[in-house]
Amino acid sequence: MKSWLTWSLLIVFAAALALRLPHLSERPMHTDESVHAYKFLGLWETGKYQYDPKEYHGPSLYYLSLPAAWLSGAKNRDQLTEASLRITPAIHGAALILALLLLAKTIGAGPVLAAGLLTAVSPALVFYSRYFIHEIPLVLFTFLALAAGWRHFQKPAWQWAVLLGVSLGLMQATKETFVFNLAAAAGSLLGCLAWQRFALRQPLDLRPCLQPGHWALVVFSALAVSLVLFSSFFTNARGPLDSLLTYEPWFKRAGGQTQHLHPWHYYLSLLFYTHRAKGMVFSEAGILLLAAVGAVFAFLPKATGPAQPWFRFVALYSVLLTAVYSVIPYKTPWCLVGFLHGFILLAGYGASRLYDILPSRIPRLAGLLAFGALCGHLGWQAWQAGSPTYGTDRRNPYVYAHTTPDLLNLVQRVKNLAAVHPRGKDMVVKVIAQAGDYWPLPWYLRSLNKTGFFYEIPEDCQAEAIIASPKFGSQLESKLAGGYIMTQFYGHRPAVFLCLYVRKDLWEDYLKKRPPEDD
Amino acid sequence: MFKQTTVKNRFMKQTLSKWAVLMAVSAVISTSSSIFCVQTQAADKDLAPLDLKLPIPAFMGTPTDIPLTDDIEKPSDKPRPAFMAPKGVVNLALKKKVTSSDKSPIAGSLDLVTDGDKESSDTSFVELHRKTQWVQIDLEAACEIYAVLIWHAHNTPQIYHDIIVQVADDADFTKNVRTVFNNDRDNSSGLGIGKDKEYFENYEGRLVDAKGEKAQFVRLYSKGSTFSALNRYTEVEVYGLPAK
Repeated sequence: MKSWLTWSLLIVFAAALALRLPHLSERPMHTDESVHAYKFLGLWETGKYQYDPKEYHGPSLYYLSLPAAWLSGAKNRDQLTEASLRITPAIHGAALILALLLLAKTIGAGPVLAAGLLTAVSPALVFYSRYFIHEIPLVLFTFLALAAGWRHFQKPAWQWAVLLGVSLGLMQATKETFVFNLAAAAGSLLGCLAWQRFALRQPLDLRPCLQPGHWALVVFSALAVSLVLFSSFFTNARGPLDSLLTYEPWFKRAGGQTQHLHPWHYYLSLLFYTHRAKGMVFSEAGILLLAAVGAVFAFLPKATGPAQPWFRFVALYSVLLTAVYSVIPYKTPWCLVGFLHGFILLAGYGASRLYDILPSRIPRLAGLLAFGALCGHLGWQAWQAGSPTYGTDRRNPYVYAHTTPDLLNLVQRVKNLAAVHPRGKDMVVKVIAQAGDYWPLPWYLRSLNKTGFFYEIPEDCQAEAIIASPKFGSQLESKLAGGYIMTQFYGHRPAVFLCLYVRKDLWEDYLKKRPPEDD
Repeated sequence: MFKQTTVKNRFMKQTLSKWAVLMAVSAVISTSSSIFCVQTQAADKDLAPLDLKLPIPAFMGTPTDIPLTDDIEKPSDKPRPAFMAPKGVVNLALKKKVTSSDKSPIAGSLDLVTDGDKESSDTSFVELHRKTQWVQIDLEAACEIYAVLIWHAHNTPQIYHDIIVQVADDADFTKNVRTVFNNDRDNSSGLGIGKDKEYFENYEGRLVDAKGEKAQFVRLYSKGSTFSALNRYTEVEVYGLPAK
């Protein structure tokens, strides 16, 4: 392997980390992130975890987050920050670049380096690498599985079989949607074989890669990883069975029993062009355009090199996966990272092939400059998308039903109230939210020991501080019968509000001793 | 006898004095009342409903089930009652120079605050960065100000925090600073505890009664909203009598 390529990818890896790691705690937790964070707290504090087939996806994210939490030095739940959780998907996102080294020998340095650069700066990949959700780890494990499968297809070896099996196990243990990736990969493989046989009229000899011993290794490795993680390291015997039963509720959601319904072109629209209100334009159209170029080269009848079959596979795989996600009515924007990564691999190939066919030094230099400008623009978008300005702003196409920053003001206010209360962190707080819509408050109020969460007004609603949905306002006030001040409205999500009621004596005391605002 | 007469005379004098004082006080009160009544009647004659051009509502209705408390203003489904101001008041802020605490707004330019466009469209607002920010309008001369109208962002239901409106004689707000509106109930913006209520933004904007304060500069503070940490200003109108 060329050492300059390794060094180049290490530099790109560092650049990817530079985009993914700064200010990881700053953006308020999305509801989904906070649910996973709270679930992780249980594992971290007690060492216990049990897979739930109805919610929360697979166990891998929680187990993989343990090392970062241990290394963070946090001694209790108060000290465990959002950054110490989000760093795990961030590292997985950057690791996609180093994983390209698996393919360097077979597809060439140019496509690898170009794909590495685009992976580092893709706004969607950067943005969701900073989310404590399962999506980016799934992209990494999927890529490892595909790369290992390709290497095994080219030159069978037990190492590739083990890597393929482990990656498949991790995929299953990460998110139920891995079946879409498998289906797209299977469809693409069949399509590529058919293309080779019927379009290119080349003979197919699959015997070398059909060695039973190797496939037994694949199955064994996959099952081992799956069983270990779903059984919570052999403490939950039902876990592996639940990992199969989970598809019933998930397919119901995918079929439309959800509020996240969007048209078929939702994902492509987000990637092509987003310009909401005024402010900046977000677009990853450059990647899609280069991916189209890559696809054309991949399907050229004339053989252009050993990388061509791999990119035919990637092209078909990405298109099929896009089609699957586009057809399903249930859509959340982070789901697009799976097929976007495929398009990025293909875009790297397209850019590299364009460079190769340029006739002389000056056009090549111009091509490199244009590619550099594209990467620069994407990187700038990625930086802006993660900034305080656009990190929660709906003009950012990847922001979806996000918690408003105002909720952090509410959290800070409640903590400041506890700071002046005689019982401190044992101050009683009650959160009464319509239909249980109180996340991410359980995560943010985790340091207050006497916090209760309710769907309806409880019989005894007295507390030092009460956070309530406006719906409960008049009923709550008549039950409280004075003695409280509704201090302020706070934003929860766009057009969703929460009210903070504080006992009058505590509020007056707070105003006297008010600590400086945590700005 | 003499003594009795003297006492009687003194009593009469005292009684007469008291009556005289009472009469005098009554006369003063009566005269003052008459003058005040005449002045009020005259003032009433000079007042007229403020003629406001409102933008098109961007959303229908207001959030329901809002708790009605001393601190939060319950949104109303009815139009705002007419505001009475002296005849001859005009929007003094129109096209006037705007400055801000934010030297590089995120979106838009400061002139949009006084350009007369108060629609909730994408082209009508300037957007300032996070935390407490202000915009300031130079009326170019000291004028009597009767009303300040503010539209932060009325594209979606939201509440802006720490809204403070001040007027002053100088651009640095060091001379004769007067606060005409402040709903920063906990003094988190550091300009004093406000007594005014928080409110939901809507197409009517917020009308602040400036009570005829005379000033050349108007400054409006805010500290993000329930929707965003950023500070948008769609339009500010300042109604007053032009300087003579």
